[in-house]
Amino acid sequence: MSVKRDEVLTADPAEPAGAAALLEVRDLRIRFTRGGRRVHAVNGLSYRLDAGQMLAIIGESGSGKSVSARALLGLLPSSAEVSGSARFEGAELVGMPEREIRRRRGRDIAMVFQDPARSLNPTMRIGAQITEAIRAHSGIGRKEADERAVELLKLVRLPAAERRFHEYPHQLSGGMRQRVVIAIALAGEPRLLIADEATTALDVTTQAQIMQLLVELRERLGMAVVMISHDLGLAASYAQHVVVMYAGRAVEYASARRLFGHVRMPYTQALLGAVPLLEREPHAPLPVISGQPPDPAAIPKGCAFRPRCASATGRCEQAPPFSEHEPGHWWACWHPAEDPPGGSGGSGGGGENGATR
Amino acid sequence: MTAVAAGRHRGVGGRLFASPSVRLVGKRLLMAVPITLGVSILTFWVLNLIPGNAAQQLLGADATPEQIRAMELQLGLDKPAPLRYLDWLGGAVTGDLGRSLVSGQSVAGQLGERLAVTGELVAMAFVVSLLLAVPVALLAAYHPNRFFDRLSMFVSVTGLSVANYVLALVLVLVFAVRFAVFPAIGFVPLSESVGGNLHSLVLPSAAIGIPMFCLYTRFLRGDLVDQMQGQDYVVTAQAKGVGPWQVLLRHAFRNSSFGLITVVGLNLSTLIGATVIIEQIFALPGLGQLMLQAINTRDMAVVQACVVVFAVVAVLANLLTDLLYAVLDPRIRYGSR
Repeated sequence: MSVKRDEVLTADPAEPAGAAALLEVRDLRIRFTRGGRRVHAVNGLSYRLDAGQMLAIIGESGSGKSVSARALLGLLPSSAEVSGSARFEGAELVGMPEREIRRRRGRDIAMVFQDPARSLNPTMRIGAQITEAIRAHSGIGRKEADERAVELLKLVRLPAAERRFHEYPHQLSGGMRQRVVIAIALAGEPRLLIADEATTALDVTTQAQIMQLLVELRERLGMAVVMISHDLGLAASYAQHVVVMYAGRAVEYASARRLFGHVRMPYTQALLGAVPLLEREPHAPLPVISGQPPDPAAIPKGCAFRPRCASATGRCEQAPPFSEHEPGHWWACWHPAEDPPGGSGGSGGGGENGATR
Repeated sequence: MTAVAAGRHRGVGGRLFASPSVRLVGKRLLMAVPITLGVSILTFWVLNLIPGNAAQQLLGADATPEQIRAMELQLGLDKPAPLRYLDWLGGAVTGDLGRSLVSGQSVAGQLGERLAVTGELVAMAFVVSLLLAVPVALLAAYHPNRFFDRLSMFVSVTGLSVANYVLALVLVLVFAVRFAVFPAIGFVPLSESVGGNLHSLVLPSAAIGIPMFCLYTRFLRGDLVDQMQGQDYVVTAQAKGVGPWQVLLRHAFRNSSFGLITVVGLNLSTLIGATVIIEQIFALPGLGQLMLQAINTRDMAVVQACVVVFAVVAVLANLLTDLLYAVLDPRIRYGSR
């Protein structure tokens, strides 16, 4: 069913077309000053997300994906300078006064973090941590909030919800804790849930369960999801659209189906190549992307991927524009890759999974 | 809530002895016995090494060896040290701490009076410094590096760098000599006048309490800022949309309180050392003063009793710290997975 949506979609990361987007990020830039050093964490990120959709933001650690997500909630330290625009249902989030953005946290946009062992308060009962989120946005009484919290725990399919309500985080397993964190995020009935590496700290089986839960909740509650991950395979399996980030910039954007059949940006291609595959020869060396991601304090001029790119030429010293080269497919590269001979869909790991979800 | 509450306690009685905190207390109490015993042996041995004994001190420099010998016999000092220790231990276990070699009074009786004075002094310094440190640290951590934070850090670093006996003399100079609002020395018993009693303890407890306040403030502020800036659960709480004070109090402070308890517990035992000096300066009839006098007169029974009391207090302070952890930290209360 998501197939159809992908075909019709005029995915437009920078310019609104048709119906208003739920979230529209345009040329977002985030800069930190630490001890006199200027660190450019995000250098112009644009994407668009419609209500009820799932978007994956993919990138290596340090590519600015988490920082850009936290910026949407105003959760960056005061040393961060944010510019550009991020509109949620038309309201500008960048530069929004703290008081106003606090009212939106949890109610418009909620967030689930990477490490469920660290994202819950170890000294508070599970129930209290959820009711706190419920009562932050509604005037309902203690008793009602308790009942609602148990409902939420059931919604995220935590076994023995009534008993868990009274327990502490350390009494739960990693997967159960992440379900609790998701229940907290759902407490304010948000229209957008940002899952920041929400399954990275979990084992593979639990990871699949949590992703499944997120997909189910998205469908049931009509809530949009931004999933931040370094795992392209995961993105391919669950998201409708994918933004690939490199050194704080969006370098490729397309529907998941299109992206995995027709990769254009060499960096995305390299990421796909680095996914371990069972089909490969046993003991064959894993392909890796050579070199290091650039230091965010000293990002090279022009295309930031240039030093690690096999296709780089002198032209790459000029920054390639991030624009829509093919319908619904955006990229920033002077030397985009060609479609592999022999048709689409075979270029990378997990490409076929895109249709199943 | 009632349906929810059903799962809360299952077989409280049966679980009591399996409870980690009960076992913890038991273990700590058992450990306190060899510690106290060790301290008493060590004290006895060290005091025995000091030249001169109570008989010589009592009789003065002119006494003949025969007189001293007779006195030693009378006081029981002729017996070998291990035997004297066992004698003392036998009495101490049954609650009889012996008699002062100098005054002949019951040691236990003397200790009781003195302990009340020292206890009051420490309690006053401790409670006031903690009650002041918590709000100051919270206010400072609410806006790190703003004016109030910097002021409070300046004050606490200054306070920590001044030795408490210097501070005591400065306090006397300002508040007793220059402005004459508080007495420089002396003690009014609680039974005589409550107001007078508190009045006489203001300067000594300030001399002990100000450095404590500085230590607690500095530690708690630092830990709160660490929690607020470095812990994911704080971000989760902020992402819920709750207000900044609620994040600071319900989330960061709860977690910082464990660190604070550790600091307070460790500090409480070093505090005993401070009372010895401060009681001397302010002429307070406390335990520290008694111990110093007893050391000068080689009044072994009294010194021994004082040291053991100090040791027991230190052990109890540590036990209380562990207990507080067990009560406050659910990870200990319910055990780890």
